[in-house]
Amino acid sequence: MSISLPTYKLRETPLLGRRQRVLAIVSTGLRREFRRPAAIFAIGVGSVITTVTSIVLLLLAPLLLPGQRLDLSFFFLPVSSPTILFFVTLMASVVGAGLISDDLDSMAISLYLSRPISHGDYVLAKAAILGTLVATIAILPLMITAIVAGLLGLFPWDVVLPAIGVSIAVGILLTAFYTTITLFLSSMTRRKAYAAAGVFAITFGLTVPVEVLASQGSIGNPVLLYLSPWDNFLAVARVAFGAAPAPIDWSASLGILLLIMVLAGLVTNARMRSMEVVAG
Amino acid sequence: MLVETAGLTKVFGEVRAVDDLSVAIPEGAIGLVGPNGAGKTTFLRLLLGLLKPTAGRGRVLGHDIFDGIPIREQVGYMPEHDCLLPEMTGIGLVAYMGRVSGLDRNTAMSRAHDVLQFVGVEEERYRKIAEYSTGMKQKIKLAQAMVHDPKLYIFDEPTTGLDPRGRREMLDLLRLIARSGERNLILSSHLLPDVETICKHVVILDGGHQIAAGELQRLLSGAGDRLRIDIRGNYGDFARHLTDAGFEIEATPRGLKSPRRPGLEAEVFRAARASGAEVRYLGSEIRSLEELFLEILDRERAGGR
Repeated sequence: MSISLPTYKLRETPLLGRRQRVLAIVSTGLRREFRRPAAIFAIGVGSVITTVTSIVLLLLAPLLLPGQRLDLSFFFLPVSSPTILFFVTLMASVVGAGLISDDLDSMAISLYLSRPISHGDYVLAKAAILGTLVATIAILPLMITAIVAGLLGLFPWDVVLPAIGVSIAVGILLTAFYTTITLFLSSMTRRKAYAAAGVFAITFGLTVPVEVLASQGSIGNPVLLYLSPWDNFLAVARVAFGAAPAPIDWSASLGILLLIMVLAGLVTNARMRSMEVVAG
Repeated sequence: MLVETAGLTKVFGEVRAVDDLSVAIPEGAIGLVGPNGAGKTTFLRLLLGLLKPTAGRGRVLGHDIFDGIPIREQVGYMPEHDCLLPEMTGIGLVAYMGRVSGLDRNTAMSRAHDVLQFVGVEEERYRKIAEYSTGMKQKIKLAQAMVHDPKLYIFDEPTTGLDPRGRREMLDLLRLIARSGERNLILSSHLLPDVETICKHVVILDGGHQIAAGELQRLLSGAGDRLRIDIRGNYGDFARHLTDAGFEIEATPRGLKSPRRPGLEAEVFRAARASGAEVRYLGSEIRSLEELFLEILDRERAGGR
């Protein structure tokens, strides 16, 4: 099999399937991220702070919600923590913003798409990289919190186990939303800073003004909350954990989030298909 | 056949980038040449299965171009532009591309070392690509195209940006691949001498059409109906003798040319003796690819007008 001057021998092993090719992109991508200081910071600090905050909130839950029965709804508190929103946004912008835009900037997209993978395989691999890392903020701390609550005897296990399941489900929703939106933005530009700014703009540029306006006496229209992805997510999470319902309808919120994800996914795929692979 | 297309057409809005192109490219080393906007790039994209044709059909290595993945499993593509991942090492990138092509981890690493040795990247393979010279980056691009041992290589302007030494090294490598006889290559280049030294067949495109194709040696030899005469001495006297003898003479930068007629060879030597000139070459017209290219383009455009 070795190639040596002046002739070379032929490959003896057959090529593996597309699943292995996608996994190769995912595993190499994750290894690259774990070597980047900014990504290490977002992963390490983000997951630790989110986990600690979630556990503290749960410990303080009886004080924050006095008189309430120790049920599943307590676990909505850590899910609604702003630290999750902040670090998910940070992770998406630090890691996800460059996933496609860096390949566009370096034109490495040519190398990928001239390989025996489809455009969809490429996007899927990038989504798997980002999704895995966002999940360390959006899912892992919530699961750990529920397990710690069970181990410390704060909640009975018949509450903790459903809490783990619901945490995974709502965590997947948050992870999927930020993954698709971030990859969509990343595919639209060669400059990852623009994509990162877009992630922050979508998160805080919508959430903060919408919440302020929705609570203003003169406006005070909760329908405005539909404009905020975070508030849509919270409306769904409230229902999932059995907490007090949000001022907006959870099914409409879920529909909005899913619609945005589908549209972002379709546009990203279409954008990748339009890439100039063979230039010159 | 390596590539076969029939009526292949690709339209972008108003522009017919590839227009009713029917080619039959044999196995071996093939040169793809044409002026800017000739449709080379679009043609390569269609061959790789990255674009769907507007009309027509085509096959590459027996696979329909509508199904690009089986084609790309057997094709190694070396892009023209800088497209490497700068933060990766040379060995890391080549092995990575091998894995994305479907090699398992160990085989990819083993073959990456082999192809890097083949292209002449030795200790530098452990350095980051960002630190490489242009010549080394070109070699890495060649190595990544080779790592999965494709049956067909597509090289897009492989000597672009290289200094004379780097260009010679790259051409030597391409020549080795072309002469191995086991693999095929399509070399798309504006540098016609590169194509001339590597390829046995050539396809010339213009305006999305094929305007000439065939074995390079045969095309360069012309139709055999003209003789080329190179002399040292007084061109004017020599040409006048032949003209007076009733032969038509055309002066070109590379010598004199005359339509073949009985008695021409004997008259050439008589004219040389009479004018005191020395005949350096008398035989079939042999053109460079550049001359052929310009001649065909001029003919096509004159015909088009």
